Amino acid sequence: MAVLFSLPNEVMLNALCAQFPCRDQQIRSLATLLSVRAAPCRNLVLHGLAATGKSSIAKTVLEYLSKRQTNGYANGSTQHDDDELRYAVIKSAECIGGRHLFEQTISTVSKVIGRSENVGRCENLAQLAVELSKLVENWTASEQDSRQRLVLVFDGIDRQRDAPPTLLPALARLVEIVPNLTTIFIVTSPRPNFLHLPGVPHLEFPAYTKPELLQILALTEPSPVLPQGTKETKDVWTRYSSAIWDSLSKHSGRDILSFRSVCLRLWPRFIRPILDGTLNPSPFSRLMVANRSLFQNDSILVPALVSNPQSTALVPQSQSQSNLQGIAIQLPHISRLLLVASYLASYNPPRTDSTFFMKAALAKRRKKGGGTALSRKPGTAKSRKIARKLLGPQAFVLERMLAIFLAIEEDAGKRKGKAALNGSADVLMAVTTLASLRLLVRMGGPNQDVLDVGTKYKIAIGWEVIRGVARSVGVEVEDYLAD
Amino acid sequence: MSDHEDDNSHAGYHDTDHQSAYVYIPSNAVANEPTRPSKRRKIGKQKSSDEQPGDPTTLEFDALLNGKETSEWIQRRHELYVRAWSHTESQIQSILDEANEDTLQDVTKFVQESSQERFDQTETIPSGFIITGPNIASQGLLFDQLSARLRAEIHGPAVILRSGDAPNLKAVLKRVIRDATNQKNNLEDDDEISSGLGGRKLLNYDLEVLHTFVRAQGSQAVIVAFQDSEAFDTSLITDLIALFSSWSDRIPFVLLFGIATSLDLFQERLPRIASKSLRGTQFDVEQTSSLVERMFKKILAGGNAPLRLSPSLVASLVERQQEHAQSVQSFTAALKYSYMCHFFADALSILTPVLGASPSLDHLQPEHYEAVRMLPSFKSHIKSLVETQDLDRVVDLLEDDTILLDELEACLSNKPVLHLLRTMSVISISLPDPVSSIDLYMATFDGTLRDSDFVDRILESTKRMAPDELVSFLQRICGVVQDGSSEMDLDGWADEDEEFLAEIISFQSQASDLANEASKTGKPIRSSYAIRSQGLRTTVIAQRVQLSYEDSTLSQQDKQYTTLVDKLNDRLKNYFDIGSPQEIFLHEVWLYDSMLPYREVFTPKPRATIERALSAPYDYLKCECCESVEGLSSTHPATAILYQMYLETCSLINVFDLWSAFFEMVSGGDEQKMEERDALVLFYSALADLKSLGMIKPSKKKADHLAKTTWKGL
Repeated sequence: MAVLFSLPNEVMLNALCAQFPCRDQQIRSLATLLSVRAAPCRNLVLHGLAATGKSSIAKTVLEYLSKRQTNGYANGSTQHDDDELRYAVIKSAECIGGRHLFEQTISTVSKVIGRSENVGRCENLAQLAVELSKLVENWTASEQDSRQRLVLVFDGIDRQRDAPPTLLPALARLVEIVPNLTTIFIVTSPRPNFLHLPGVPHLEFPAYTKPELLQILALTEPSPVLPQGTKETKDVWTRYSSAIWDSLSKHSGRDILSFRSVCLRLWPRFIRPILDGTLNPSPFSRLMVANRSLFQNDSILVPALVSNPQSTALVPQSQSQSNLQGIAIQLPHISRLLLVASYLASYNPPRTDSTFFMKAALAKRRKKGGGTALSRKPGTAKSRKIARKLLGPQAFVLERMLAIFLAIEEDAGKRKGKAALNGSADVLMAVTTLASLRLLVRMGGPNQDVLDVGTKYKIAIGWEVIRGVARSVGVEVEDYLAD
Repeated sequence: MSDHEDDNSHAGYHDTDHQSAYVYIPSNAVANEPTRPSKRRKIGKQKSSDEQPGDPTTLEFDALLNGKETSEWIQRRHELYVRAWSHTESQIQSILDEANEDTLQDVTKFVQESSQERFDQTETIPSGFIITGPNIASQGLLFDQLSARLRAEIHGPAVILRSGDAPNLKAVLKRVIRDATNQKNNLEDDDEISSGLGGRKLLNYDLEVLHTFVRAQGSQAVIVAFQDSEAFDTSLITDLIALFSSWSDRIPFVLLFGIATSLDLFQERLPRIASKSLRGTQFDVEQTSSLVERMFKKILAGGNAPLRLSPSLVASLVERQQEHAQSVQSFTAALKYSYMCHFFADALSILTPVLGASPSLDHLQPEHYEAVRMLPSFKSHIKSLVETQDLDRVVDLLEDDTILLDELEACLSNKPVLHLLRTMSVISISLPDPVSSIDLYMATFDGTLRDSDFVDRILESTKRMAPDELVSFLQRICGVVQDGSSEMDLDGWADEDEEFLAEIISFQSQASDLANEASKTGKPIRSSYAIRSQGLRTTVIAQRVQLSYEDSTLSQQDKQYTTLVDKLNDRLKNYFDIGSPQEIFLHEVWLYDSMLPYREVFTPKPRATIERALSAPYDYLKCECCESVEGLSSTHPATAILYQMYLETCSLINVFDLWSAFFEMVSGGDEQKMEERDALVLFYSALADLKSLGMIKPSKKKADHLAKTTWKGL
């Protein structure tokens, strides 16, 4: 006679806890809630922020549980050998659309159960339920006298693309139709009652605290080891990671992954004085002082597309500046002028156009120092005005931008004796090019008729860039910008 | 109205009403057609009858010389064109291939390395960012070359995605999978993949398909290249990156991004989560401007170039490059068009010295001789002969075709151009700092070289050189004369220009003698130009300071050296004094100088043309009833009248006001030249014309009003 209830194997749990430090409670609960002879539940929600170990712990626990548990129970009863737990993990991140999720589920389950033949198409939730129950019934029917359990893990199901609206409640109710099934939902933060089912156990994976993070990080081996030996290395590493946490990662990138990557990235630079022989590891404060620029520079927190560890933090601003200058030089002359005109059209209200761009108004504006038509007496404004620059770009029609373009092109005045640009196809081609480079954004979705005069555009680059671009073509944007 | 149209309009509207564009078939043409559509099986025959004019006996070019040109010569022009252009095109292609060679190598190496170090880092995809510059047109070529190269050298599929064929995630994945799996296998193998999975059919956008394929092939890397990354929807790229990074433990993805603006702008657009999972390397591509310069040297200034462009045409080409397009393709297209125009429209293009074509001028037609006598260069040739009192020769040339033929054959050598080009390459080598060869070419072919800044700078710099520098400077010149310039396809011309070479060598030996002497005595030699000629001398006499100028003392060597430099300068000045190509007899044959075709074809102004046609219809109609002045006139077409009224309105137009003004104009006030209903028809059709041109649209702001959407002159 088999034991009806037994707690999960302690040896296994200890191994797991050693593998995932600071997650003892979650591992124990999970093992209890999943193992066949403990307290198997039907639905289970694991939730927590990113990089708190939800998926990997669930997967590892299931892997342990699904092994035939002979070692631990060698001296006890042998009926446990008949217990069988199989699991299937479905990553929502890899599923495009609901149907793909169903197909994926069925094919994984059939692979796990070992019955890959004659599985039909699976296009909606109803079919999923039918196919799944057929599979599981076949499986359980073959081995009658043992306890069997199938665990379905839906990883990141809350991020599923194109999910049918009833997806979550329906998946939660699968267990009512399919026997011997446990469904695990791994989500970031569950809304209250999002499964529309009462009494579903929730298991929270809280974010790691500082001591926990440091404890985990202490297990990592930093890549260049100090010449003084591993013990010193470990010592410095611990104190160094604590300092990194306090100065950088505490405020941004608090999760273990980004914390670790920041630590690893800065480590070679941090210990450079030691490797050079200028400093010793022993007074840590001295190392800190020598490297204080590392801890003050938060640009390391921004993930760089191109990783070159030498220059990331040492050249923080100048390089990006020169890159932005790059497009100013690379773009053809007319495209640059068009960009400037688009910026003006986006950030100037249309009613000020006559002040800035009409020839008659030009002399007047210059004489009075600019913007006379707009200046009002203080206190007369009905509502508080927010600076236009802060409001973001506004949409404009092409016609207006072209008018502004011709006005500033005349002012830039470098085209003496060249062909006039009015109505030229080259200009419109340049506009299209800018739009496909997404320096200009075409409004109104992909179905918008491009030839329609009413099509609106918006500038997509900011003040700093446009000033450089404008100067490269001899236009001073401030002269034309309202307030 | 024909039956055909009645059939269509019985429901109250044409089926063309809802199409944005359709071919308009005038009603009389429709009436001539058989009412029934022709049967399908007839089409095959029709095609063959269509093909008949395309048989080899017909000529691609029209007959010139008032239609009297014989087919033999027409054929010859065409042959010459094909030969000349294929020569140039192969040169262009080799330059383009060379240009991207470095980038291709780097990227291939990167892909190979990334596939080896794949398992070091988890969940980050190795990705290459190829900064191509803002010229989108050249990206296509680069990525084609890239995919060919990668397919050849990397074991694994390479897929190129363009923003146009990627509307959503599913479509992109389908495309990736289809392109990746079809590359090495044909359809039968495709079936094998799905059956390999136990009979279970996979969705065609499931990356599992790709996974199976990769496992079966043992692929090294799966390369997905985004050709124009900026034009992709950002959310689409983010989704793809998330998906790929999730699969990256099973499928060895490598991403390539073609970036036209800059890496920073691209990164700003990507969300943090996407950029976190990329591990990138940056690659730079040779910029278009330097590429165009290289092509220019080879193709226009090259020694073997069959046809050269005049400086003014080059200037407008270069201007367009700088201001608008900046693309190699447009440059090539303009070049090709010039070739086409030259050989198509100039009967004398048979004389063009194309490399590898044998000039046989035996059977020239009398019209050809006539055409030669009309050339401006022939006229100036005659004029110069008259000035030298060689009147017999003038008469012979004007009257005797055989003598003219001899003269033609004598003048057809490439020599005068070669002389220009050689001088040009000497100048470019002797300039103290590198200059754009395009500017140099323009100066050379303008005939303004001798007074140009380039020559001045060379002469100025030789004056200030120390003897050692001068020796190496002369050595460079000798090198060019002896070995030629590979960039410009010039062979050495030491045999033909022995005199100059000998002089240069003698200058060189003198200078080196002086330099040796100087190194013995330890006193540096300088020319009088390099030393300030007058020194300021301060003397103190009776506690007063007196300033006086005095000539610096030049040593004997210095004086010798100065005279040497002076001689050299005179010789160089003399050498650089070359004539303008426009003075060379028969320059029309190899110098293409006509701006109009280029302007019309490559810089169209559709909008300005429509506006001009509507506001001044006389310019196009040339009818008798209208005058050539702008402004309203009742004789104009209705659309033009309406357009001119439209120009005077503000942004909202009252239709009734517009109609009354129109009716007033058309009917001529009280004279009542036209019925109101007829006028109304004209008004409606004119209004429909304006609407189809996108100039007006119905407004919601006010009832019975139209919104004005365009302004003239933009």
